[in-house]
Amino acid sequence: MSEKITILVGDDSILARKQLKDILIGIQDNLEFVEASNGQEAVDRFKEVHPDIVFLDIVMPVKDGIAATGEIVASDSKAKIIIVSSVGTQTQLKAAIEAGAKDFIQKPIRAEQVIAIFNTYIGG
Amino acid sequence: MYAQFFGGYLLSKEAVTPEQLTSAISKLSDTHIKLGTLAMHKGYMTASEVDEVCFLQTREDKRFGEIAIERCYLFEDQLEDLLVSQNPDYLILGQTLVDMGALTNAELESLMYQYQTDNELDDYATAMVDNNTTSHLVENFFEMYHIPANNYTLAYINLLFNNLIRFVGEDFTPLEPMKISEYEVNYCVAQRLSGVAKFTTALDMEPDVAVSFASRYAKMDFDAFDEYVKASLEDFLNLHNGLFSVNMSNNSSVELNLDPPMQEEGPVMQLNETGFVIPVIYPFGSIFLIFEF
Repeated sequence: MSEKITILVGDDSILARKQLKDILIGIQDNLEFVEASNGQEAVDRFKEVHPDIVFLDIVMPVKDGIAATGEIVASDSKAKIIIVSSVGTQTQLKAAIEAGAKDFIQKPIRAEQVIAIFNTYIGG
Repeated sequence: MYAQFFGGYLLSKEAVTPEQLTSAISKLSDTHIKLGTLAMHKGYMTASEVDEVCFLQTREDKRFGEIAIERCYLFEDQLEDLLVSQNPDYLILGQTLVDMGALTNAELESLMYQYQTDNELDDYATAMVDNNTTSHLVENFFEMYHIPANNYTLAYINLLFNNLIRFVGEDFTPLEPMKISEYEVNYCVAQRLSGVAKFTTALDMEPDVAVSFASRYAKMDFDAFDEYVKASLEDFLNLHNGLFSVNMSNNSSVELNLDPPMQEEGPVMQLNETGFVIPVIYPFGSIFLIFEF
């Protein structure tokens, strides 16, 4: 049996989390999902489970995705964080990259793009 | 976006009733021929090129033809040919109302002439690809009802109507905006934007309408007013506001910050002097767009 891959999905929308999981779950059968509904919860869950890859929204209550990215990367410089947001301005992209995010997916999400990014950072 | 505003125009002229209009609009999806379909039919574009342009339309506030030309999938003369082949959708709406017996052909002819004159739609082909024309329709919509609106407001609402078309469906009609200080909440989600422009927008509807709205938006068959339905309303509002902030950043170098969307507790929402509500009729029920600029 192949090694388990843990994916942290941080988004305050239960619908957005479900849509992302529904796309990813079809890629491989060894995926395990951990969810967070705000930025602080995402940081806490990351430190608990050390996921292989993280998908984070920007606009979230308590702590936004950019701030959460900075905190996660400060605790693990090799963290693979993908920002998934409708707010794809150059300013936000720059802030996400500076905080340590590896990539950016503009909402509405497209399955092919999510799968391509997963394969880039985790391997197909 | 012509059928939507032509419908409102007919209501403002008391040419049809809201029930007649709703019924006619619900039939439009069966008769509307899309530019992409015509392009494929004529062999100008492949199905995958059409799919790609349709996808890009969800990210860019541009018309199908604009993107297709930018990507070199269509030549200008091919687009002109397709546009000649495509009837404006308000013509189809008018024809549907005639078929239903709500209007005579003579009434339709007169109303269409007035509508074209009032909105300066004297060139169908240009109007079909010119994004400024839809902005102009939104501007006229506000002028018709004497609601003051600055450029931000017009750009915001123009995009909102376009996003309703893209993500929920084109079979709607915006009704007369209501200037009110108090709004009685059904199920309402609100989001605040800040930065150079500060404003709050909200989306409100009855729970059963929300189930239909969410089913269309999320492309899932919801049958109960549950957390996924509630999340769908928040998602739509957040997606729209996110795309608006991208437009403002790219086109006007204006950066906006979005707060997370929140449920408006109610039962009454207090609006300041700039507040207004636009009821929007869909075949599955009415939704209410609430603005405080």
